[in-house]
Amino acid sequence: MSAVERFAAPRSLEEALEILRAGEVTVLAGGTDLMPQSHSGKLPLARVLMSVRRVPELQGIAETEGTIRIGAATTIRELRASSLVRGRLPILWQACDRFASDQVRNAATIGGNVCNASPAGDTLVPLLVLDAQVVLVSKPDGAMQVRRLPIAEFFLGPGRTRRRPGELLAAIEVPAPPAGFVSEFYKFGTRPALDISAISIGFGAVRERGVLRAVRVALGAVAPTPIRAARAEAALEGAAPDEQALAAATAAALEAIHPIADVRASDWYRRELVRNMLPRVVRRACED
Amino acid sequence: MPARIDIEFTLNGVRTRASVPPAMSTLAMLREVLGLTGTKYACGEGECGACTILVDGRSVNSCLMFAAECDGREILTIEGLAATERGERLVRAFTDAGAVQCGFCTPGLVMQASALLAADPQPSEAEIRRAIEGNLCRCTGYRKIIDAIVAASSGPDPALAAAGEGQ
Amino acid sequence: MSAVSENRELATVSLIGARIPKMDAPEKASGRARYIHDLQLPGMLHAKILRSAHVHAKIVAIDTSQAKKLPGVHAVITAADVPWQRPIGVAKDHLPLKPDRVRSLRDEIAAVAADTPEIAEAALGLIRVEYEPLPVLTDATAALEPGAPLIHADRPGNIAMTFDYSHGDVGQGEAESDVVVEDVFRLHYVTHCCMGVSGVIAEFEPNGNLRLYSNTQVPFLHKREFAELLGIDPGRIRIIQPPIGGAFGSKLDIYPFEPIAIFLARITRRPVKLVFTREEEFLASPTRQPVLFRLRSGCRKDGTLTFRVAETLHDNGAYTSWGATTPFVMMQTVSSLYRVPHCKYHTRAVYTNNPYAGSFRGYGNLQATFAVEAHMDRLADAIGMDPLEFRLKNAQEPGETTPQGMHFRTCGLKDCLKSAAERSGYVEKRRAYRARQMDANPVKRGIGMASMLHVGGGAKIYPSDGCGTILKLDDFAHVTLITGASEIGQGSETVLAELVCEELGLPIAAVTVVNNDTDITPWDVGVHASRTTFIAGNSAIGAARKAKAKILAAAAAKSGHAPEALDLRGGFVVLKASGERVIELGKLIRSLHFQDKAELVMTTHYYEPPSKHQDRGFKGDVSAAYAWATQVCEVEVDTQTGIVRLLRVTGAHDVGRVLNRLGIEGQIEGGVVMGQGYALTENLIVEAGAIRNPCFRDYKLVTAPEIPEIDVEFIETMDGEGPQGAKGVGEAPAICIAAAVANAIENATGVRITALPFTPENVYRALRGAAQPPQWRPAD
Repeated sequence: MSAVERFAAPRSLEEALEILRAGEVTVLAGGTDLMPQSHSGKLPLARVLMSVRRVPELQGIAETEGTIRIGAATTIRELRASSLVRGRLPILWQACDRFASDQVRNAATIGGNVCNASPAGDTLVPLLVLDAQVVLVSKPDGAMQVRRLPIAEFFLGPGRTRRRPGELLAAIEVPAPPAGFVSEFYKFGTRPALDISAISIGFGAVRERGVLRAVRVALGAVAPTPIRAARAEAALEGAAPDEQALAAATAAALEAIHPIADVRASDWYRRELVRNMLPRVVRRACED
Repeated sequence: MPARIDIEFTLNGVRTRASVPPAMSTLAMLREVLGLTGTKYACGEGECGACTILVDGRSVNSCLMFAAECDGREILTIEGLAATERGERLVRAFTDAGAVQCGFCTPGLVMQASALLAADPQPSEAEIRRAIEGNLCRCTGYRKIIDAIVAASSGPDPALAAAGEGQ
Repeated sequence: MSAVSENRELATVSLIGARIPKMDAPEKASGRARYIHDLQLPGMLHAKILRSAHVHAKIVAIDTSQAKKLPGVHAVITAADVPWQRPIGVAKDHLPLKPDRVRSLRDEIAAVAADTPEIAEAALGLIRVEYEPLPVLTDATAALEPGAPLIHADRPGNIAMTFDYSHGDVGQGEAESDVVVEDVFRLHYVTHCCMGVSGVIAEFEPNGNLRLYSNTQVPFLHKREFAELLGIDPGRIRIIQPPIGGAFGSKLDIYPFEPIAIFLARITRRPVKLVFTREEEFLASPTRQPVLFRLRSGCRKDGTLTFRVAETLHDNGAYTSWGATTPFVMMQTVSSLYRVPHCKYHTRAVYTNNPYAGSFRGYGNLQATFAVEAHMDRLADAIGMDPLEFRLKNAQEPGETTPQGMHFRTCGLKDCLKSAAERSGYVEKRRAYRARQMDANPVKRGIGMASMLHVGGGAKIYPSDGCGTILKLDDFAHVTLITGASEIGQGSETVLAELVCEELGLPIAAVTVVNNDTDITPWDVGVHASRTTFIAGNSAIGAARKAKAKILAAAAAKSGHAPEALDLRGGFVVLKASGERVIELGKLIRSLHFQDKAELVMTTHYYEPPSKHQDRGFKGDVSAAYAWATQVCEVEVDTQTGIVRLLRVTGAHDVGRVLNRLGIEGQIEGGVVMGQGYALTENLIVEAGAIRNPCFRDYKLVTAPEIPEIDVEFIETMDGEGPQGAKGVGEAPAICIAAAVANAIENATGVRITALPFTPENVYRALRGAAQPPQWRPAD
């Protein structure tokens, strides 16, 4: 028997934040994580179930002055269908293309994926590579407050983020990648999409005359949160992606990860996948 | 008494009201409250597609959707689709291609195929396979399901042309 | 009337080999078919089962008092409420509600009947059970050790069943061998994953008769078993079979949920519906039989097989279901897939606290073929002979009888081997891929072959292997075909209608098939062993031919032609030689009906196949025909991840004759993909007696993007006993995929992996030498 007493469907951000401020609210976006989690008892529903689907401020994908803003309630389907995303943020597009299934993509939202904070969450590794920021809004005492955090600081652990109880994730902001930016997303699986990844790898860098700059290496499902592998990035920074640099980067990545063993994979195998696939991912990104 | 939410939505073209517990799924509402059993429960966690319906023209797993979220929307189930010319064409295509064995997964696949063909009337085989990647079938091995969708997609659909259906 | 005759005129061409759409496809595709899950009866209650919280424990006390008080609860029962319950299952070692001991996590302890499933579920949460944990046995080898805890007090040594078979003298065979190979194979747990979960509705009528809405594959056998369980006359039980959401052998035994629903229906005097959740389906359904298989095989350097010694250990789980009897089938493959002069086979099925196994499409043959066909490749390579040539050298031919007594009236094995090899380019590719094993590209290709032998004309394991048909034609020449053969999604109703239409010269639309009510249909032993087309087909043809004889005799009397000069075509009685129409069939039937000595056209036929029961040594011609197939699988192996992709399956199937081409293709394609899942993606992870992945997210069925290209040729050997020459095919396509894939992976990588499944991590470990190969440790 559920404890939900009220279903709210606010039509503005103000209204949503008012409801949220009053407390005891479970936020509902696409529902594709929330529904199974509430059924399994993992996430009991609060007194008020609030759907944010109709809040216009949470919609839309737009580029303004070098920043691409993605509303938190944007569905994965919308991202996959967006020529802006495919053209400007291909690494994010790749993750959306590998996301679950058509039926799930039609309902699931990027905000939900981010707030669910699974270490294996498909969009999280690309957002780390893209240096995204989360835009959190609240109305603690009448006035709307906005807080931005680098996404790398947003995740605390499996299912846990820095979002405060009265806050709503309103948008993800991504700085438009510079010219010469190459990227690649790899999600381990035997299927194109419908897999929870045993590991995922994201790579991005600016290629200038054969040398990599502003290198980003992100890994999923190998630690309690998706992570950036700083020392792996350093090993490639300013270097050409040759065998030596890739070996150094891979060794550094292996140091950075703490994979667990679960029904999907052993920790040993996750390490082997990172070892074998990181060089392949970087090479694929650097192919013309 | 446990709370209930009153919702109003268009179901298979008909304006419909229902009163549902807040945490009830759309799948449960369809099957248990509205008596429409064509949409199937096969996993309840969005992995198999047997519960596929169209919401505002897009396919979703009804087991993952809160019934309350149907409010104000257009819901199409297999019962509604099968009563249209496009649905009949799909049913015929699935039948003629041998794509039905036990049939339990079929309504979900027919719904998904309908959504695919509405968005992309002439999909390639690779696109069809990706489009149905979220629908599990244990009997057919998918080959004839793919063939059925190819057959349903070939040639102009008089129903589409005449009705100018945008969905 | 004229529209009807228009339809009939269409049926002038033979239906045999045609592409005939499944008769119930439109109603299934449009969502109108009502499965058990969809049925509502007035006053119906919903039931849920409380399962054990421990793998092995004494039940000290059960307190249902709080559960009973919950509003909406009609009954809460434990074993104490049904002291008259009798054991169920293959070995009758399984009480539906456990009185004093639980032996596995799925064990049923209590059950609730309530107004809604939610209330029933909530009531389960209010039942308090006190357990005293017992030592847990989750390894079959450990269960055999002296001093191991006894799972059943009356089964010493934890032995559930043993099987022993031999022919010839394996000592002599080994002495004659130039090469001997031995391996231990480990075949894993998988489960049926029917898309429709298990469910039942039980209802007692006011006169005490039981009406059961069940998805059983063996309604007449279960009628008797339920009668024994309840202590009532079997004649007072009626089983109605709604459309089924898949079976694949999962519904051949009685499992506790059905008796429990019946108990609740009896106690509440209301209809009771019990439906599993998907999680429960994973946790509580029988699995495929896991097997530890030690095989030793030999051959001479000229390529003739000399002997096979097989020893298997079956984890029987806590209670015995059909999994324990898979040796019946396994030994047939060990003794008779290719010519083997000397053979010894031994199985021990051992109780543990693990989930129990049931019957599953192929029934042990996937496991046995995996071992046998691995050795065919190994032996061929050891003597430097091409594996195709090696198989052809040892392949049987029509007319042979094996030492186990199986007579191959038809045998397409050689044609299957040649066809599959040629169309796949097997010989050249195998050589080419082997040459590339050591090259720099981490992504390898491989090709592998395997054949299979399976019963194709029933299996005489019960006193009768027959099927009854009642056939009637109405005044308008519409046929009602009443058959004992159930339909489980495989299209039996369409094939039977096809066979009848072929005899009577009518279109499929002229037939209604009734096959789902034991009050109406004549006896059939059930849907198993790929027997339905063969046995029920012959039964239907028999009834149709009797009807035809009656019709032609009447037409002869009326027209003055001899009956032998007449035939039925296109809805008419015609002259056989010229096809000239004599009289429209409906008109003839009406004239028979509305005459002084009125007659209706109603016939019956019971077909018992001419097979034999096996003797105590398991020897005998147990089937009226045998089916063969060869499958060649081409794979791609990414040695850096272990991911194996099945690219192409080239098959050749000896099916006797193709009846419904659309239907048989569907069986092949579905079976191949099921085999693909068994080989590559499916793994029911059982650890410490618990199933770790009871959901589709973590138990991977094959999805549409993963299917291989499938190219099949049907070898039509025209079996003399088969209906229109056909043999059974339902299980065949699933049987040799894993074996062929294993051979293909060896071809690609040089590594032979002897344990399933070939999931990426398992393959990767094997390629890196980091796997634990299966070991044979059971005390001999």
